[in-house]
Amino acid sequence: MKRTLSVLVALIMLLTLTPAFAAQEEINIFMWSDYISDDLIANFEDEYGVRVNLSYMSDNADSITKLTAGAGSEYDLIMTCDAYMESLIAGGYLEQLDLSQIPNSENINRAYWSEQNQGYCVPYLMNYIYVVYDTERCPIEITCYNDLIRPEMKGQIGSVDGARNLFPIALIALGYDPNSRNENEIKEAYEWLVKYNENVVAYGSTETNMVSGTISCMFTYDGNTAEAMAQLGENNTLTVAPFTSDPVQLGFDLYVIPKGAQHIDLAYKFLNYICDPEVMAANLVDNPYSCPNDAAVAAASEEYRNGPAFNFDYKTNIFFQEDVGDAITIYDQYYQMLKVG
Amino acid sequence: MNGASTAKKRHNRLPAIAQAGPVSLWMILFVTIPMLFIIFISFMTRGSFGGVEYTPTLTSYETLADVIYLNVILKSLRVALVTTVVCLLLGYPFAYYIARKPADVASRLIMLLMIPLWTNSLMRLNAWMLLFQTNGPVNKALLGLGFVEKPVTFLYTDGLVLLGLITNFLPFAVLPMYSSIEKLQTAMLEASADLGAKPSVTFFRVTLPLTFPGIFSAIILTFIPALGTYTITDMLGGGKVLYIGNIIKNQFGTIRNWPLGAALSVLLLLVTALLIFVYSRFAKIEDMEVL
Repeated sequence: MKRTLSVLVALIMLLTLTPAFAAQEEINIFMWSDYISDDLIANFEDEYGVRVNLSYMSDNADSITKLTAGAGSEYDLIMTCDAYMESLIAGGYLEQLDLSQIPNSENINRAYWSEQNQGYCVPYLMNYIYVVYDTERCPIEITCYNDLIRPEMKGQIGSVDGARNLFPIALIALGYDPNSRNENEIKEAYEWLVKYNENVVAYGSTETNMVSGTISCMFTYDGNTAEAMAQLGENNTLTVAPFTSDPVQLGFDLYVIPKGAQHIDLAYKFLNYICDPEVMAANLVDNPYSCPNDAAVAAASEEYRNGPAFNFDYKTNIFFQEDVGDAITIYDQYYQMLKVG
Repeated sequence: MNGASTAKKRHNRLPAIAQAGPVSLWMILFVTIPMLFIIFISFMTRGSFGGVEYTPTLTSYETLADVIYLNVILKSLRVALVTTVVCLLLGYPFAYYIARKPADVASRLIMLLMIPLWTNSLMRLNAWMLLFQTNGPVNKALLGLGFVEKPVTFLYTDGLVLLGLITNFLPFAVLPMYSSIEKLQTAMLEASADLGAKPSVTFFRVTLPLTFPGIFSAIILTFIPALGTYTITDMLGGGKVLYIGNIIKNQFGTIRNWPLGAALSVLLLLVTALLIFVYSRFAKIEDMEVL
């Protein structure tokens, strides 16, 4: 009797479950964690009657590993960054996009979205890597990268790490292409960075070190600056360095559709949804980063638009991190030398 | 005769497999195979997006011979050595003190030693950083008491890295030495005194040689992890000065040169093996005090 009952219950459960599964479509997205608002995901699920499965990466390399191993069977959208686009397109790892399926993509500023990339990705959020200093504690006013290696700056600087973040500013300071593949130029940049390294107190944790008074100047992301400024609150004396001519690095996090994705229709719907000005403006409340969607920025809160971390006048004097091909081994070698001392 | 011995051997085989089998399987699966894999990829070519291309090469080992890596290795050895020596100098008297206490007091003292290890090591490191940061409590106290006129920079200095290493590894030095000293029979020390030896002579000619296995275990348990550590040097050193552990971490992380990372790991393995070999020349491995 008991057994019959349990079998019956199991059958009923199965029967009620199956139609629910059949009716609800799913979309699988691989991206950074804490990087999209939960409300946005919930609203998208309600509006389209679908389920969104999010999985998270812990390193930029994760998404590259997935894409190059053929991620289409697993994911419908993958987040990666602009620096890898050239090789990903060349390798044929991405589905080509039909922008007529993403009408809201009109809102994205084309200055941030190259013609080549328009065929394969949709930019999501972006980050500047620039110089910020404390107007009260920093010994000098910083207006160019060369100011960072002046002897007065010894023991004052906190910095982001990584060869492909550090070498470009040295190359620019020396008047070269920030994505140079020339070994002699990279070597000179290394020598510049040795002087920079002497002034640096620590790599990483820039906002913590700024708030605790350990450093008075930082070469860091705009998002971290916003955090530091928010923590300092009324005591904030930080300012984005008034650069006069040196360009700053701008990086993107963007969505691509892996080759052979199972739910391309849904992927288009999702991409169109996040390009909607109101949707993105609401998302910026939880994720106050720089945004390439002009209409969304216009619709965003006063607080976001006037945020002191994003308030500088050289926003379009930028350079991008490009694929440097095999020269990456030269960078790695000099970076290693720099760090080993 | 021959037949009888074979029968005896066969008789012994099953219990031997039953006893050693699970452990051996565990060691093969989780120690030997991963280690062999590390050795294997150290002879391969780096993949452009991380990972490994299976083309055999000696490039990684040629890179290791580069003078900059030699410097890192020397620097790492030096820091690990200083950490070990300080841990021994602080740990031995402490272990001696505990071992000479009655059993219940001793176990309570050992407990006190272990309590910090119950929290995550990252929490402990963050605590050091909060204490010693420029506007932290230590600087505030120094300023308030008038010892200094402006805040002292403790954070990201070699001194703080060393403090982090020593506090982290001290318990691992104390425990094996405690276990050795505890076994030391008082009768030996009394005999030495009766034969006219001064306390210092007794210490250097009786106590120290008899507790040597504990001391050597302490050396191994502090020196080897201190040589390979990277979180402590990364967090307290501000990522500015790299030791061998940080370099290995970077090869598998940002730099994405797995074969070089593997070759550096092999180098660490060799240093470890060398230490164990040296130990085996002085004493029996079975005597090693590892709690």
